[in-house]
Amino acid sequence: MKPSRFTMLLLGTVAALAIAARAGAAPQAPAAPTAAPAAAAGAATFVGSDVCASCHDQAAEHLAKTPHGKAAFAHLSTNGCETCHGPGSAHVANPDDKALQPRIDRLTPPEQSKICVTCHSGSEQFFWRGSRHETRGLSCITCHSVHSFKSERAQLKTATAMEQCFTCHKDTRAETWKNSHHPIREGKISCADCHNPHGTQTAKMIRGASVNEQCYTCHTEKRGPFLWEHAPVRESCLNCHTPHGSNHLKLQKTSVPYLCQQCHSNTRHPGTLYDGSTLADQARASNRIFNRACLDCHSAIHGSNHPSSPYLAH
Amino acid sequence: MRNLNRLSIPAGALLTLLVSALWAAPASGQAPADPNAAPAAPAAPEAAAMPAKKEAPAPAAGGQSFSFRLDPLVIGVLDTHVDTRSAKFEEYRDVSSGFVLPYFHLAGESADGNRTLDLNAHDVRRTDARYTLDYAVAGKYELYFDYNKIPHRFGNDGHMLWTRTGDGTLEIADPTQAQIQGALAAQFAKNPAGINFSFLNGLLAPYLATARAINLGLERDRSDTRLDLGKMGPLALSIEYTHENRRGNRPFGASFGFSNATEVPEPIDYNTDGAQLAGEWRGPRGGLQVGYRYSKFANNISTLIWDNPFRATDSTDPNAYTAPGAGSINGASRGFADLAASNRANMAFANGQAKLPGGWWVNGSALYDQMKQSDPLLPYTLNTAIVGIAGNGAKFDPTNPANLPARSFDGKVGITSLTGNAGNRFGAFDLTFRYRYYDYNDKSPRLEFPGYVRFQSVWENIARISVPYSYSRQNAGAELGWQVHPTTRLALALDNESWNREFREVKKTDENVWKLSADTRPNQRFTVRGSYEHGDRTIGAYNTAAQGASFVEPEAITNLPDLRKFDEAARTYNSWKLQAQVFATDEINLSLGTTGRKDDYTKSLFGLKSDDVKAYNAEISYTPGANRDFFLFGERMDRRSLQNARQSGATPSTNPLDNWAADLKEITDTWGLGWTEKFAKAWTLDLTGNLSRSDGQARFPRPLGANPPGVGFDNYEDIKLLALLGKLDYAVTPATTVGLFYRYEKYTIDSFILQGLQNYLPGALLLNANNGNYKGSIYGLTMKHVF
Repeated sequence: MKPSRFTMLLLGTVAALAIAARAGAAPQAPAAPTAAPAAAAGAATFVGSDVCASCHDQAAEHLAKTPHGKAAFAHLSTNGCETCHGPGSAHVANPDDKALQPRIDRLTPPEQSKICVTCHSGSEQFFWRGSRHETRGLSCITCHSVHSFKSERAQLKTATAMEQCFTCHKDTRAETWKNSHHPIREGKISCADCHNPHGTQTAKMIRGASVNEQCYTCHTEKRGPFLWEHAPVRESCLNCHTPHGSNHLKLQKTSVPYLCQQCHSNTRHPGTLYDGSTLADQARASNRIFNRACLDCHSAIHGSNHPSSPYLAH
Repeated sequence: MRNLNRLSIPAGALLTLLVSALWAAPASGQAPADPNAAPAAPAAPEAAAMPAKKEAPAPAAGGQSFSFRLDPLVIGVLDTHVDTRSAKFEEYRDVSSGFVLPYFHLAGESADGNRTLDLNAHDVRRTDARYTLDYAVAGKYELYFDYNKIPHRFGNDGHMLWTRTGDGTLEIADPTQAQIQGALAAQFAKNPAGINFSFLNGLLAPYLATARAINLGLERDRSDTRLDLGKMGPLALSIEYTHENRRGNRPFGASFGFSNATEVPEPIDYNTDGAQLAGEWRGPRGGLQVGYRYSKFANNISTLIWDNPFRATDSTDPNAYTAPGAGSINGASRGFADLAASNRANMAFANGQAKLPGGWWVNGSALYDQMKQSDPLLPYTLNTAIVGIAGNGAKFDPTNPANLPARSFDGKVGITSLTGNAGNRFGAFDLTFRYRYYDYNDKSPRLEFPGYVRFQSVWENIARISVPYSYSRQNAGAELGWQVHPTTRLALALDNESWNREFREVKKTDENVWKLSADTRPNQRFTVRGSYEHGDRTIGAYNTAAQGASFVEPEAITNLPDLRKFDEAARTYNSWKLQAQVFATDEINLSLGTTGRKDDYTKSLFGLKSDDVKAYNAEISYTPGANRDFFLFGERMDRRSLQNARQSGATPSTNPLDNWAADLKEITDTWGLGWTEKFAKAWTLDLTGNLSRSDGQARFPRPLGANPPGVGFDNYEDIKLLALLGKLDYAVTPATTVGLFYRYEKYTIDSFILQGLQNYLPGALLLNANNGNYKGSIYGLTMKHVF
């Protein structure tokens, strides 16, 4: 027997609270970051950012303009550069010893991320642990740069989130150039509007609890519920649409009428073959193949509230 | 040639902005950004950079003065030419001629550094403008505001017979309707068979010749205001409010029947408001997020009423849904549709994560979302000639909403989502367990109707009942990872996804997915990521009579008994991804990749049989130094789907000669090119190009002996977009750059579905707005200055 939703919700909430309470036995304030490049850490001690800047003056100048160089950061840690790079005394003593250079890029991805997660473990990064990007060996600095970022927000290595995602997701990059597309390449929405690259509880790192709930954030008019529902629409928008780009109208996976006919081969007009026999002369064509094909009549395909619209016509 | 001239920015506004910027400039005290900074290419790996130590400042003090810098301000002029009125040219953007303010960034900081302000503005005052404002007080709060205007243009210069006389009312002049109805009646009396496309086309032609033009498109104005308190601290609180107004119109199928599929502009005026209150607690061993979200969608135009071009007066007969034609010229004088229903949603959620003893980590979430919709129901029809017949045979007026079984639907859905994940590392191995439960429970009432009005024209005495489709989905899986080497990980995962549906053809489906993945990065120069996935979905009994759930009395099955709807059919699939990136030298980066997925529905005799997508991509970039950057990207995507069907008359055919198949192929090539060259110290040349070209084919194989044979076509959406941009910048001073640019675009579409469209075609009166081919040129002059 299926447990009631209330029971499930209650159990889930209790479990979450229990976990949080268990975890909360420890003190409150976030500890000053202590993770550091292993090679450089050792028994080294903090030397202070002024010492770092005496050699790395350009880096210091760049960083001063970034959030990590501003007062907000100083509220979280007084160790400056060494907050992330670790105590620098050993490196200062032997600056030419490469093994002692506190280079974060030489660490393994988990070690790199561990430094950032010391502070960035909430909000967007709440589910980083166990996320697809984490388990596949990416780290924070795969996409972000503390010193030389190019984006307006989020300190990305590229000017936009889209460009950053496309450095790996090449197929998606190509899809956004298709005829029917969301305004991603125009910069009006971003990959990160639908996906949280730091991890979510949903497949494909969708922000919503399901694909449909994600789509409803912009397409609220389709949320319903409706008097007359179209069941596969309610289950997943992806049954008919491909969100990254399509050669067909309205991001359809396959063009209408054939998309509809993948499920509807009913008697009379739904099962009829609408082929190219009349295309050369539209004056002979069926109104079920041109313009929006099936949707010329079934315009309420996402659901209707009209008492006379069980066939989703209006 | 068309010269787009739409934008005019009041000179006063510009002056104010510039004066403000100049006023702010002397106070900045900041070194100007280097205008010759490298272009937006991926940054080099993190270097061992060390910034100067800043003294920990005192908490923000009120009254501290702010210094501002404008970094940068970009102004310019556009001169735009396009050879057609295609709306595709400005689908999501505004590139009309005139003065432009493409970008400015105003940054402010208090003297003690505790307060910061960032204002970013893109395409100021254009229909695609975006503004963001970020104000933060260190250690206390951050206020973020985002205003984003998103145009979406569907077509220009459509033609329609209607005039919008009210928010949701589209009327045709009564004399026009009367004349057309009169001509139809005369022809019907003389020779009903003469009411064919030729006759109707001739009848409408004079009216269409003088029909009003209409541009179709939407404008979304979105705003997001968010206040974060205690961000980065152990306790944080966020309050967020979002608002969107969407207005405009879009093409809408407003059919009066099989022979009269009219298309009208659907007026859009939507408001969507959302609010969220969330709290977060973070401790050294875990954290908790709880929150509440509210969303309200309001459609300010909930009903659309439009006149029937062929009828001035209401009438009905059993064949009226096929009018106008040899069988009938009757029908409604006007139609009406219930546009998107206003709705609202309430959601409560909790997320948790923790590190447990023994090295285990866990995280999870619980969410409950309730979606409601209680719009008033419209009557069955506006057609006053129709008489409704109740279940007991009593007649009633179907234009009176009081005769409905309910005055509003009062739909309600509850969504429950629970997730949990746990993992640990055991030496070189890691193990992760994942669980997701998602339940969509439609609690809406089942409303029973004694019949319905078909296409505004005929009372159908077939009792229908609404169906609250519900389902639940569970995913449970585990992944075992093996760190073969510090730089290489292999993983094997098994995921089971099961569905439990109510009212649909298949109650239960069960899918096992095996996934093997490998990631290796042996050194800074070489990365390979690959995965292979195999899924196998089995299903329970397929109820071919499932459609009966929406009928009060048992109905004959009309869909093919052997058809399997693909989303709930048995299937196997195989998919793969492989991507390799090689930094061949410090200057050359090469990337090669392939992705693919093939779904097979071998147990489905009819319906989707297979869907196969393969893509191959390659990219090479060459960055010999700060003065040169080049990349070339290409991808071919090859898609083929196959589906089977059978034509039937009044009952499902059993004759194999009625079979047909649709074999649909698409090849899409995408190319991207970028070249940035800095020369003679002050000059920068930027060249970018993109080409997307799709070539589709449709074939309709039929059995030997089938008549007629299927006729394929080669314009299953053949589309080509070429976009080229050339930009030349000259740095007059370290802070000032002037530039020239030229953008060229050529777009062509040859699509079976849009081929030869006219305003009037058999059984369809269309708007036929222009969204087709174009060639466009944009010339621009810009000046960028850092104050």
